[in-house]
Amino acid sequence: MYRVVLASRKTVEWIGLLIVAFLFVFPFLWMASTAFKTMPEVRQFPPTLLPETWEWSNFAQAWESGPFLMYTWNSILVAVGILILQFLTAVPAAYAFARYKFPGRNLLFGLVLIVLMIPGQVIFLPIYVQLSGWGLVNTLWSLILPYAASAFGIFLLRQAFMQVPDEVIEAARLDNASEWKIMWTIMVPMAKPVLVTFGLFSFIYHWNDYFWPLIMTNSDEVRTLPIGISSLHMSDGGTLWNVMMAGNMILILPILVIFFVAQRHIIKAFIYQSK
Amino acid sequence: MRKAATVQELPGVSQSKTEVRSQAFAWSDLASRLRPYLYLAPALICFVLFFFYPIGSIIYLSFQDWSLINLEQMEWVGLQNYQDLMKDGDFHQVLGNTAVFTIATVGIGLTLSFLLALWLNKKAKVYGIIQATVFSPHIISLVSVSMLWMWLMDPQFGLLNAGLEAVGLPAYTWLTDPKSSLLSLIIVSIWKGVGYNTLIFIAGLQSIPGDIYEAAALDQSPWWRTLRRITIPMLSPTIFFLLIINTISSFQAFDTIAIMTQGGPINSTNMLVYYIYEQGMDFYNGGIASAASVILLILVGILTAVHFLVMSKRVHYR
Amino acid sequence: MARVVLEQVTKAFQNQSVVKGLDLVIPDGSFTVLVGPSGCGKSTTLRMIAGLETVTDGKIIIGDQTVNQLPPGKRDIAMVFQNYALYPTMNVYDNIAYGLRNRGTSKKECQVLVEEIAEIVGLSDYLKRKPSQLSGGQRQRVALARAMVKKPKVFLMDEPLSNLDAKLRNQMRVELTSLHKQLGSTFIYVTHDQVEAMTMGDQIVVMNDGHIMQVATPMDLYQEPENLFVAQFIGSPPMNIVAAEGKSEHVWGFRPEKAVLLPAAVSAIASEEMWSARGQVVSREILGSDTLLHVETEKGRVIVKADSEAAMQVGSSVTVTVPWEYMYVFEKGSGKRVGRMSGRVPVSTRAGGDS
Repeated sequence: MYRVVLASRKTVEWIGLLIVAFLFVFPFLWMASTAFKTMPEVRQFPPTLLPETWEWSNFAQAWESGPFLMYTWNSILVAVGILILQFLTAVPAAYAFARYKFPGRNLLFGLVLIVLMIPGQVIFLPIYVQLSGWGLVNTLWSLILPYAASAFGIFLLRQAFMQVPDEVIEAARLDNASEWKIMWTIMVPMAKPVLVTFGLFSFIYHWNDYFWPLIMTNSDEVRTLPIGISSLHMSDGGTLWNVMMAGNMILILPILVIFFVAQRHIIKAFIYQSK
Repeated sequence: MRKAATVQELPGVSQSKTEVRSQAFAWSDLASRLRPYLYLAPALICFVLFFFYPIGSIIYLSFQDWSLINLEQMEWVGLQNYQDLMKDGDFHQVLGNTAVFTIATVGIGLTLSFLLALWLNKKAKVYGIIQATVFSPHIISLVSVSMLWMWLMDPQFGLLNAGLEAVGLPAYTWLTDPKSSLLSLIIVSIWKGVGYNTLIFIAGLQSIPGDIYEAAALDQSPWWRTLRRITIPMLSPTIFFLLIINTISSFQAFDTIAIMTQGGPINSTNMLVYYIYEQGMDFYNGGIASAASVILLILVGILTAVHFLVMSKRVHYR
Repeated sequence: MARVVLEQVTKAFQNQSVVKGLDLVIPDGSFTVLVGPSGCGKSTTLRMIAGLETVTDGKIIIGDQTVNQLPPGKRDIAMVFQNYALYPTMNVYDNIAYGLRNRGTSKKECQVLVEEIAEIVGLSDYLKRKPSQLSGGQRQRVALARAMVKKPKVFLMDEPLSNLDAKLRNQMRVELTSLHKQLGSTFIYVTHDQVEAMTMGDQIVVMNDGHIMQVATPMDLYQEPENLFVAQFIGSPPMNIVAAEGKSEHVWGFRPEKAVLLPAAVSAIASEEMWSARGQVVSREILGSDTLLHVETEKGRVIVKADSEAAMQVGSSVTVTVPWEYMYVFEKGSGKRVGRMSGRVPVSTRAGGDS
């Protein structure tokens, strides 16, 4: 009797797990399925689960509906450019916070925490005004420069640097390494896991970002992939759901691939935010 | 006695000994004193340019009548922008929408996440896979999430209505009716965020030492009492953190609105950031947009301050 | 190669003096051990010589140069740390070569030097490995190799053996001593372990509470301790201290291995020849060939080291005797040694002993 109850409880739990998985996976599968359908099949009722004819041309149509090669290139330039700048600004700052005692350290670190908490959406207007004053609005710089320093990156790296034993740094000093050299040849390699984690976080965030490029740019030459994709549904007449979904597949595929390869790192990256 | 003497002698000694050396030393000393500030400089300059200065600037701009068309033309209008906002019925609705959206998203989202976390916090591999699955929408661009749900919620051909019809229920209006549009956005936000919150809850649950549960089991505590007396109190820092973070990010809601509804129908899904965007970038009411930004800044600022206060207290008690 | 001189060296952390006016000469080519209980300032002293701590007051001279203002990398010294402090992201080769590269040594020369040193310490087969793939003893060798490859004037070692197990520690002790002979450079070695100090050092500096208590060779330290602290710190178990007879401003001390236990029945000892006290054995620690007997006597509790073959049972009544020439006399307040006994009379062996 007891065993039957146990077994049925287990079954119920498995069904529950399947439902949860379904709720979060199925929409993406539906996106993929739609992306391959012809428009008549998209409008068909009841809907078909899998496409009857595989319409690969949807992808080509999405890709050719705008300068998507340029969007993609811009997306890569912006995400990678931001990553490099954030790395270059965060490493020395985190090193200073983690390894030196100096007047004002706590105050300055408090400022970093404030930056960490308050989102850019609150102050985009004055930044726009400022950048337009410098003539940078509607350039890739307007997408990169405001994110050149990451409070989150400084915060994460500082913690990693604080865990390096003092003796290792002292040994490097005895080996006649300058502070600058210690930072880049000892500390940075030791913080590699955290750097990878942060790099993934930053890249995904800026690859996906829609708000900032929407505000700062208005011409195709400097727009990024999310903007290009979002303009797909504003195209002529009836909504071409199949082309739209195909376009979105292009946008999310790189992220999904990264997610499958580096799932543990990515989950860690996002969980770190809470510490 | 002796110690005091050495300490007092110290400055005199170092000055009177070889002067050249002490001067050379002063230089390297200065360099090492300045070094941390030099290392911080690039990051801090960025923060000043793109964070602290803009914060001052937005407050200043909120007292001006200005627009993005002609930035040269600014006129001091004092509190006029704020008064206009207060009188503006649309803005009241925007605040109301933001409040409803935030409370519903945070309240329902966190409750669901907490329950999911209690359920999925297990060692077996399946649970890890389900955790990753639930988390996956979080790393997908909101553009794709919004478009996907627009498609699912399409009143004519969408899968949701097809499903409803299949089980004999009437089709739902989703984004097309002011009565249901905000709810639809809330559903999308929860779907996107629940995985992140669940993982943070699980991380919190795993940091509770297991022996507490063993002790409770030995005391024959029923599961609901264990939950109320042990799990929830031990998890309170996590709960608090998620409340703050989710509230702030709900205040920021923009992408879903811009793509799915443009604030409509009839302003029913217009929220703070979208309102600021519309006023500033579309209607060229720079002053109104700035004043609304300041109100948003104050809201986020209060939440941040509460967060820091509670965090610093927690540090003291530990 | 160089000698190291400390002149009135003082170190204070926030008004708390840790090292108090040290004067010390470490001769060129010596193996000098700084030993003392934890918190005595020995590590701080070593770190000041290394340049890892600034000197609050006084002068440190290495060779002919005052090094107070020199950064650690420019002092021509090398240091081996307690937990090795290897660079975890570099392999053994890069760990050893890092210091050379920072000096601008050419790649070719680097390779020759590193391979030569690796050969000496027996690491040739491990050059490509990361520190995490090495055993404790191998890591220790990497740390040594990293120090040796720079051919420094002075080697500094901060408790380098304390993370090794007992067997490996004994082996490394011997190796370090022979390495010192081979290289002929100055070694300054910090430890809290007096056995390590006695077996390795040719000059031992006993420190306590930021002061030097005595500087001497191992034998002198054992035979002629200048004060109560050294007498009790060096030697295991420590020297027994008993009340002086006749002079209340003195105390007497004798080493446990110099006392002789007689059965209580044998009494009537001429006190002109030896000190004696009646008592009872209260506990016994068998060390192997020797046994430590704790004896509660009429003149206080003492420890006697005896041959295990002749050891007495717990509870037996005994008489502890010490020949007068092994009885040391110390001043009660300052702890300074006055001299030894000769018959029943104290003899000052070192007039005005200065500590």
